[in-house]
Amino acid sequence: MTALLQVDNIEVVYKRAITAVQGVTLSVAERQIVAVLGTNGAGKTTTLRAISGFLGIDDARVTEGTITFKGTRIDNGLPHDIAARGIVLVPEREKVFPNLTVAENLAAPVPRAGSSSERHRLNERTYHFFPRLADLRSRTAGLLSGGERQMLAIGAALMCNPQLLLVDELSLGLAPVVVQDLTRRLTAIRNELGIAVLLVEQSAAAALEISDYAYVMENGRIVLDGDRERLRSHQDVQEFYLGQAGGERRSYRDVKQYRRSRRWYG
Amino acid sequence: MFRPAPRASGYLHTGYGEDIALLQTRTERASLAVFAILLAVFPFLASPFALDLACQVFLASVGALSLMLLTGYAGQISLGHAGLIAAGAFTTGILAREISAPFWITLPASALTGIVLGFIFGLPSLRLRGLYLAVSTLALHFVVIYLGGEYETKRGFSTGIVVDPPRFAGIKLTDGRAWYFVLLAAALVSLLICVNLLRSRSGRAWQALHVRETVAEALGISVARYKLLAFVISSSMTSVAGCLFAYYRGFVSIEAFDLFLSIQYVAMIIVGGMGSLLGALLGAAFITVFPYLIEALLRLLPNVQKLAGEIFAVNYAAFGVVMILFLIFEPLGLVGIWHRLQNYFLLWPFRYKPLAGARK
Repeated sequence: MTALLQVDNIEVVYKRAITAVQGVTLSVAERQIVAVLGTNGAGKTTTLRAISGFLGIDDARVTEGTITFKGTRIDNGLPHDIAARGIVLVPEREKVFPNLTVAENLAAPVPRAGSSSERHRLNERTYHFFPRLADLRSRTAGLLSGGERQMLAIGAALMCNPQLLLVDELSLGLAPVVVQDLTRRLTAIRNELGIAVLLVEQSAAAALEISDYAYVMENGRIVLDGDRERLRSHQDVQEFYLGQAGGERRSYRDVKQYRRSRRWYG
Repeated sequence: MFRPAPRASGYLHTGYGEDIALLQTRTERASLAVFAILLAVFPFLASPFALDLACQVFLASVGALSLMLLTGYAGQISLGHAGLIAAGAFTTGILAREISAPFWITLPASALTGIVLGFIFGLPSLRLRGLYLAVSTLALHFVVIYLGGEYETKRGFSTGIVVDPPRFAGIKLTDGRAWYFVLLAAALVSLLICVNLLRSRSGRAWQALHVRETVAEALGISVARYKLLAFVISSSMTSVAGCLFAYYRGFVSIEAFDLFLSIQYVAMIIVGGMGSLLGALLGAAFITVFPYLIEALLRLLPNVQKLAGEIFAVNYAAFGVVMILFLIFEPLGLVGIWHRLQNYFLLWPFRYKPLAGARK
């Protein structure tokens, strides 16, 4: 499988002084769902912004390494340009236009194929994956629930006819049952449309459920990667991200010791 | 105070006294001492022209600091700053003219005028935000200028009010050097007031309501009260600057307080760097010196005599260009450049701060 997106050894520096991520390498193949896991401040969102071109807003830059999408360099590119190439971001917060209705939100994106019949097809496609949005068509987006907003955001991203969907914190602030529904729909989108997905998540359980491959980030570096089975069976992931105490209880001191050692040699 | 933590190489305080000290490290004390000596020596070396320029910078600093308090920290946009300076200047002029009030009456009276005006024109801020607030503060400017103009014409001072220099212990304050130290002291006192306000409860309240009013209110900060407080304090400081301006110039007239002056003050805090007192000082110095700098540069050109008429137009245009350049290339202002320099030397020989827990 050739990689659709290849992030190679990137370093991101904020305000020309503060390093946020370093030596991050990851790749997403076609039709693949890839997850990036990690706690707050691990550099997940920064990585995603580096890919989607949203670093400039916060006075940050990719200072080292390359990001390649379908053989073209896109590091430090412009967000709208990257979106037009087929990488569409579903942001963490403020993902819909609250003053527009659901239908207007879906009409707002600029699809890559602009004819009206194509637009119609994309619209129908979105409603096919999210029938709930069809019922809410004329509702103002600001009045939607968190789960509905997430659906609308993914729906709007689909309107851009992407090849790679970047989803930042799919599960943020949502009920587990809603998260399960959304992850199932994401899998369906991948299966039916062949769109690759890069998922950034804090909730490892939800992410590992659907992803083919996953990376674990800590302190701005990737400390672990592997396919779903490898990560699921990895003792540290079980303990720290999935919350399963493996066998006998370990003392808190051991845990701390362990964390420290990982920071150094991970 | 001017710089993000850490100031010392570690947190080494053993008492509350050390915690609230303004100067915490030896380097800070030493550099401040050098700066103080330079400020003290300056009037004895400088030409009268440079001395006047320094006085103008100090006056502008008082105004810029108070505007920074209101706009840079409390987040309330104000375009009425020139009006407030005018209010202070006119209070001083009228009192000195009508009842020949001495310095120690006109100064508090100007502050009081500022307080009243700040309260009245702070009230709209409780309901208005952003652009709408800016327009409502613009009204302040027009009201003050109208009243000042009416006074001038009705009392027959159509060209302006002449203010006698103030007397300190029987001595008339006319000497340029004496003025230098008076205005320097005024700027220093304003700076101290601002620094201490900002690191106390009210300063934290202002910064909180600047970022998110809802959160501030949820945390028990009375948004209405602190907004009004910001307006009142900032306005009274500005009016005091107006009072000093009236005495320094010895002349008050509405022509000196046009809308461009308000814009200049807003420019000072933007060019200096929003949300930084050091920025207010740097901005005040920059914007005050800038027109003279352009003039000096123009003099280097051949055939200056022909250009004499255009010099004002060139100044305005250069001012506009510099504003745009700053907004595009350095939104953090002069203080942003300063911080970057500091960072560069702090991190040297490395370029960037390493990641936490990195093995370097």
